[in-house]
Amino acid sequence: MSGSAKPQAIGVSVEGVTRRFAHAVKGDVFAARDVTLDVAPGEFLTLLGPSGCGKTTTLRMIAGFEAPDAGRIAFGGQDVTRLPANQRGIGFVFQNYALFPHLSVAGNVAYGLRVRRVAEGEIATAVRDVLALVGLAGYESQFPAQMSGGEQQRVALARAIVIRPRVLLFDEPLSNLDARLRVDMREEIRALQRRLAITAIYVTHDQEEAMAVSDRIAVMSGGTIVQTGSAEDLYHRPATPFVASFIGRANLVPATIVATAGDRVTVEALGRRFGIDAGTRAWRAGDSARLIVRPEAVTLARPGEPGALQGTVAARAFLGEKIDYAIDCAGVRLQAVRYNAGPGDLLAPGATVALTLADDALAIVADAGMGVSR
Amino acid sequence: MTAAARAAGGGRARADPALAFTVALLWIAIGLFVLYPIAMLLARVFVDHGHFTLGGVAALVTDRNQVAAFRNSLVLGALVGLAGTLAGFGFALAATRCRLAPWLVRAIDVAVLLPLVSPPFTTAIGYVFSFGPRGLITYDLLGIGNASVYGLTSTMTAEAITYFPIAYLTLRPMLAAIDSNIEGMARSLGASRLHVFRTVTLPLCTPGLANAFLLLFAASLADFATPLILAGNTFPVLPTQAYLQITGLFDLRGGAALSFALLVPALAVFLAQRFWVGRRAFVTITGKGAGQAPFDSFSPPARAVLCGACLALTLFVVYLYALLAYASLVTAFGANETLTLRHYRVVFSEGLRVLGDTLIIAAFATPLGGLYGVLVGYLVAKVRFRGRIAMEIASMINYALPGTIVGIAYLIAFNDPPIAITGTALIIVACYVFRYGATGIRTTVALLAQVDRSLEEASQGLGASGATTFRRITLPLVMPAFLAALGVMFIRSMTAISATIFVVSIGWTLVTVKILENMTELELGVAAAFSVVVVVLVFVVVFAIGRLLRLARAPGAPAVAGMLSA
Repeated sequence: MSGSAKPQAIGVSVEGVTRRFAHAVKGDVFAARDVTLDVAPGEFLTLLGPSGCGKTTTLRMIAGFEAPDAGRIAFGGQDVTRLPANQRGIGFVFQNYALFPHLSVAGNVAYGLRVRRVAEGEIATAVRDVLALVGLAGYESQFPAQMSGGEQQRVALARAIVIRPRVLLFDEPLSNLDARLRVDMREEIRALQRRLAITAIYVTHDQEEAMAVSDRIAVMSGGTIVQTGSAEDLYHRPATPFVASFIGRANLVPATIVATAGDRVTVEALGRRFGIDAGTRAWRAGDSARLIVRPEAVTLARPGEPGALQGTVAARAFLGEKIDYAIDCAGVRLQAVRYNAGPGDLLAPGATVALTLADDALAIVADAGMGVSR
Repeated sequence: MTAAARAAGGGRARADPALAFTVALLWIAIGLFVLYPIAMLLARVFVDHGHFTLGGVAALVTDRNQVAAFRNSLVLGALVGLAGTLAGFGFALAATRCRLAPWLVRAIDVAVLLPLVSPPFTTAIGYVFSFGPRGLITYDLLGIGNASVYGLTSTMTAEAITYFPIAYLTLRPMLAAIDSNIEGMARSLGASRLHVFRTVTLPLCTPGLANAFLLLFAASLADFATPLILAGNTFPVLPTQAYLQITGLFDLRGGAALSFALLVPALAVFLAQRFWVGRRAFVTITGKGAGQAPFDSFSPPARAVLCGACLALTLFVVYLYALLAYASLVTAFGANETLTLRHYRVVFSEGLRVLGDTLIIAAFATPLGGLYGVLVGYLVAKVRFRGRIAMEIASMINYALPGTIVGIAYLIAFNDPPIAITGTALIIVACYVFRYGATGIRTTVALLAQVDRSLEEASQGLGASGATTFRRITLPLVMPAFLAALGVMFIRSMTAISATIFVVSIGWTLVTVKILENMTELELGVAAAFSVVVVVLVFVVVFAIGRLLRLARAPGAPAVAGMLSA
């Protein structure tokens, strides 16, 4: 299959898609609310968010398993909103793999080709090739029940890609695998997607997995997309406190905008002033905000460092390669992390320390609490 | 079921004329063979010359004999429920908690299934051979000349032996599904084995035990053949009274009223099972099994007692059947015990027509019932259409009601125009299809509940249309339910009697009815030979279907025997 001509990758656009459910207690609940997304041809985009954020519903609407109440979905410019799933040309990998228990591996993989009435000779070749591609050469006559979780996952993947889908969709495909296998499989999925140059949309609640595989990540919460961007964008320039704390760890330090100048703002926090990037938001002096301080952006030193903040070690957790500290500083408890430089370098609880914060590692978000509508 | 499935299903139902046609056809059939007969039965009890009357019921309440029959039925049902549940629970404990060798468990399984797949009165016949006036134990062993085998004790014992496998089959998966770590946990907290059993195992099983009791109560309430053979004159029960009222006194209204009296406790049991026990289940049977080595639940002496008791009961069942086989091979059991094949000669000469009739009826009822079960099961489980729940309930009525009621209802409904089919094979086939097809519905619904919707979505995502998905994915996955339904239909067609005894005729009769006739004419050898032939036939079919089920290789394949207890 790798030897044949690659089909032209297509983009996926989701415009203002909304899906409501009637809930016995809560009344109408929005599983997805005005979701808008543009996935470029060949791009690997991940929908990331906690359980119940609407990521799976959005993916299922893109697949055609569910119909949106409002909005429009297009594949390569063609409106597919009302097109049934079997006519969209998708490859879907389910969380539970959804392998047909009564069919062999070959039968499962060949299923989509048989539906397309591909000649049996071609099917045999295609099945052999794709099984080799996912590392399951020779497994044709096995049945799903005889295989391990990782192997089943590969069959599910082979079954999805052998039909050369226009779009490849993944619904938490790795959540049933053990930690080690998860890391291996996500790298394989990424490599395969690059090699086949298929547009892919991937759903997960695991931020590390999302960062490892994606070109771009759309963070969802309460049925809406909160922010879309590359892993670096989201980490360094989160748009909301929710994004800041969902992607990586973050100290959300109360802050006030003191002055603005172009794309820079001056904020006051912890009794100090910091000059940082304004981000996308228009700030006015006097606005209250939250300063995002990543634990690894807090540099700890022995007291006496000129220009440093003063703090007290409240607690520490020894993790081997690194040590997590909780530092009380100007009435705020900060998480800080420091790589272990040796036994003599540990700071004891109660010790006074000097803190410096790297200005370019700081970000500012509106003080909307964590208040993302649920 | 999500909104997606609802939307897809609902859309299909409205758009698809084939579906609308199927649903309409099924409603007509259910209306004709389920609702209409029951309505006619109630009309016969409550309507006299176009006026509402309580006369039929009043006649019952004032007749001391009938009141006694009502009371006897309840007492018998309660005793059979208690004894059978106890025995079934003992067997289930032995099978799941005693680390018996697998071959031994399998052997016990086969032995206790004997009563379940035989005609319902087979145990009773064996019982007569053992404890009757010329019984092996009473006459030959104890030298009692005119032992009285008839009455409550015999009826209760024979019914408990016949129906305890139902309790075993429902309790065993339940015990197997209880994670033995829970018991191990209680033990590690310092509880003795007995204490663990009393405070953990037993409470977890309570809903299952209640359910088993109700199932056995209902089975005993509906049992017609065992009391007919063993109850005697002093212990009348409702089903036999209704039968005698109709066949002896030709009093159709009286019979209908008696069967109505039977309906009240039967309905109460059904409702209790559905709405009370159903909500109190702690243990979910997933079919996966807990998987780990069973925790040592019994001390060695307790284990020995339990296994010994189970083994004794197993041997007793085998003994009754062996006695039956022996009686079929001697000239006259208890009098002239020279070996002979003359009873089998009768079976395969004069009896050939009855066997032929039964097999022809089974040959029609089996595929029709299997198809009906799977079709209704699929529609009810997977397709949203108007009246879906009503159809599910209506399709269960004939199955939930005691056979006596259904038989009398058919007799009343189909004797006269507009639909006069009494005396034909059609009435017997219809009776079987709409009564026992319901087990196929239940199995199909249960099987489809295990089939994750993602399987159908996966097929759809790979480009298959709804029809292709049904043909290639859903149908093969439902195949085990269909095969098992065929098995149940065949077994019931060969062994049922309570409903069909009312609808057999000179033109079409059944082996089971013939056996009862032989019993009452004291042709015991022939009755035994017929019984042996039926048991062998049924066992062969159960075995063959078990083989087919294994070949079908599908997950969650239900066992035929398991369905008999549902």
